[in-house]
Amino acid sequence: MKAAALALALATSTALGAFTIGFADAQERGGTLNFARYDGSKLVDPIYADRNPDIWMVGSLFSTLLAPTEDGTDLVGSLAESFEVSSDGKTVSLVLRDGLKFSDGSPLTGDDVVFSLERARNPDLGPWSGLLSAVSSVSADGRDITISLETPDPALLSMLATFNTAIVSKKAFDAAPGANDQEKSAAIFAAGGPGVGSGPFYLSGFEQGSSMTFTANPHYWKEGKDGKPLPYLEKVHFEIIPDDATRVLKLTAGEVDIAEFIPFSRVAELDADPAVDMNLFPSTRIIYSPINTRETRADGTPNPLHDKRVRQALNYATNKEALIGLVLQGAGKPMSSPVMSSSTRLAADMNPLYGYDIEKAKALVAEAGLKPGTEITLTTLAGSADDGTIFAALQQMWAPLGINLVAEQVDNATRGAKNRSGEFDIHTYGWVDDVNDPSQVTGWLGYFPTAKAVGTGWNNADFNTLYEASSSEMDPEKRADQYRKMQDIYAEAAPLLFMYETPFAVAVSGKVDGYLQTPLGNNVFENVSLER
Amino acid sequence: MAGLQYTLNRILLMIPTFLLVMIIIFLLVRLLPGDPAIAIAGDKASDADIAAIRERLGLNAPLWTQFWLFLTNTLQGDLGRSILLRAPVTEVILARLPTTIFLTLYAVTLSILIAGPLAFVAALNRGKWQDNLIRAVFQVGLSMPVFYIGLLLLTFLAAQLRMFPVGGYGETFLDRAYHLFLPAVTVALYTSAILMRNLRSAIIEVLDAEYVQFARAKGLPPRLILGRHVLKNALVSTVTLLGLSIGQLMSGTLVTETVFAVPGVGRMMLEAIFARDYPLIQGLTLTFAVLVSLVFLMTDIFQSWLDPRMRLS
Repeated sequence: MKAAALALALATSTALGAFTIGFADAQERGGTLNFARYDGSKLVDPIYADRNPDIWMVGSLFSTLLAPTEDGTDLVGSLAESFEVSSDGKTVSLVLRDGLKFSDGSPLTGDDVVFSLERARNPDLGPWSGLLSAVSSVSADGRDITISLETPDPALLSMLATFNTAIVSKKAFDAAPGANDQEKSAAIFAAGGPGVGSGPFYLSGFEQGSSMTFTANPHYWKEGKDGKPLPYLEKVHFEIIPDDATRVLKLTAGEVDIAEFIPFSRVAELDADPAVDMNLFPSTRIIYSPINTRETRADGTPNPLHDKRVRQALNYATNKEALIGLVLQGAGKPMSSPVMSSSTRLAADMNPLYGYDIEKAKALVAEAGLKPGTEITLTTLAGSADDGTIFAALQQMWAPLGINLVAEQVDNATRGAKNRSGEFDIHTYGWVDDVNDPSQVTGWLGYFPTAKAVGTGWNNADFNTLYEASSSEMDPEKRADQYRKMQDIYAEAAPLLFMYETPFAVAVSGKVDGYLQTPLGNNVFENVSLER
Repeated sequence: MAGLQYTLNRILLMIPTFLLVMIIIFLLVRLLPGDPAIAIAGDKASDADIAAIRERLGLNAPLWTQFWLFLTNTLQGDLGRSILLRAPVTEVILARLPTTIFLTLYAVTLSILIAGPLAFVAALNRGKWQDNLIRAVFQVGLSMPVFYIGLLLLTFLAAQLRMFPVGGYGETFLDRAYHLFLPAVTVALYTSAILMRNLRSAIIEVLDAEYVQFARAKGLPPRLILGRHVLKNALVSTVTLLGLSIGQLMSGTLVTETVFAVPGVGRMMLEAIFARDYPLIQGLTLTFAVLVSLVFLMTDIFQSWLDPRMRLS
């Protein structure tokens, strides 16, 4: 009986082994993935990447010490095999994996980690140094890394999983031509080739504004399903195609395998195409409109939007579901937290956040004494079909409140300048998180010292105090409570027109498997394979 | 000798033109609303970051100081560094200029090849069905926006029939001619419509001229009359129009290069304007101004060869 059981076990394991080998052999490898991008990268360097087309590519060329889990709710080791935070929250200890290499085969050591993190926190260099402002020193002893902090920082681990703390090769920077770090970085990027990063690929071709090519890093530390090093692809070739219609045509003509930023009006049509896999990746992207809350407008006249009740009324009178239907063809959902997307950690679920209630809105404007025919200007992006639709819809939705909504069309740079100077009533805007922590978006939207609460001029002492306290609160429950209170205060004050969340619409050819765009927007190619 | 003097005078006239262009470019760029420092730093930057960028770029210096710097550097061939592309402006323009020049010359060649023969057919068959058909077809070309024609061509000839690539610009000369055929045709359809109408009218006018009637009376063969007397004289006004069209074609590349994903300086200009990249906008505008001035110079020289009276005036 025992022998029979053993024979059965052997047979089963052999069959399973054969199945596994068969499965592993079935894993496609090699080939070039052609990707149509809406905009090109200018400089993919962890600390100088300041535009999404640069930021979202950093992870393909450089690895970070930690990485978010697939659902984005937790962190796991990446270059670091283990990590821990001291009980006082002022020391973070990490241990690097054994045998790590850069893409040219040179070893990745503790010195490279120290060099990279010192670079990342240097305020004279990149724009992201503030994310590591709590760090006082970084040291290495073999594979052991120690990060000391002046004050505890609950977001620090998330920062170690963020693009700006990705590890670069000290040797490559020492050898690069240039008088300073900026020039060295530009020279390394212009030259391309392996050596500076340890991500799944290295830059092997770049034509400004036209194309970019990544080649597989043969020394990448992560393994694929078949037990061999990732990535599966040999190359990724990017073509810069700013026109939406042309990107879609390139995909349907088979000239590219993936087209990003598909207009929502084309989603249903591509979804029906059997040769295309139309993806709507969950994102941290929110669309909202800052409201000028100052007592007077920029021209010195009284500002009707200074009254909280008017701002609340505008929110109640806005039918978000209708807007989502008009602008996104239904591919979105109303904001349920006032200061972040629902996929950002610590987001409160306040759904419905100012659900459509026109009677309540009318009562609020009556209570506030808003004069019928009050003119309010909505500043929109010139040439944006979405903004045009939003304006037309809001004009109708707010008319019952006696509001005469007029449009002012400007380009992006002008809109940014108006936001800074406060020369607006309401304007369209959007946001995507760059870090896997709510502190960045909350600081941007609500904390006055950062950017005048996204230009609204809203300055709430309670909110600001809570935000400051949360920045060094290491107790997860207390921090979650602080965030809950901040969201309550913000929702009540309504310095924004809370609108909706949108996914990343990416059309992928049916022969592509494993492509992912993370909620932060990062393009992940390491698990992509091409059916041949 | 008169021809050489005329050419030299035309070249000297370009100097004040360029100076004026530089003043206009400098002022126009700074009249644009929006702050380049905000465009560079991005929406998420703090006020302190923006102030630091303004200082670094010299945007806090008085306007005349900025202009003097722009003028002296430009005269030394230094157009500054692109804020957006973080590279010398001269370098990035030179890298993408050949593509735009190729596209423009390609479109001009196609325009001439389309407009020339059809203008002759229409003029020689004035009022007949051939004339009416040609004019009607070109009227459609004139009345449709360039980007719409481009999208139609892309949809049918590239995406559906797969005769041409949807975008890109190729590697070798022939490959490039193949890749840029659709964008060139898109632009050429509009330009050739204008050229054809003008050349047709000019031919009709010349055909009625006394010296042509005299040539006919002398019994010269029609081919000789058309080649020697009609074409040369009819071309005078068409060459002027062609020169103007080339200037228009270059500005038209802003749209064409975006729709067809052609990485030329037209698309770069759009990116530079949106990013408020002052040095790059100035460099590109100056480049366009130089190219258009050169085209006008060549047009004038060619015209003076066609019509020697111009040299004397």
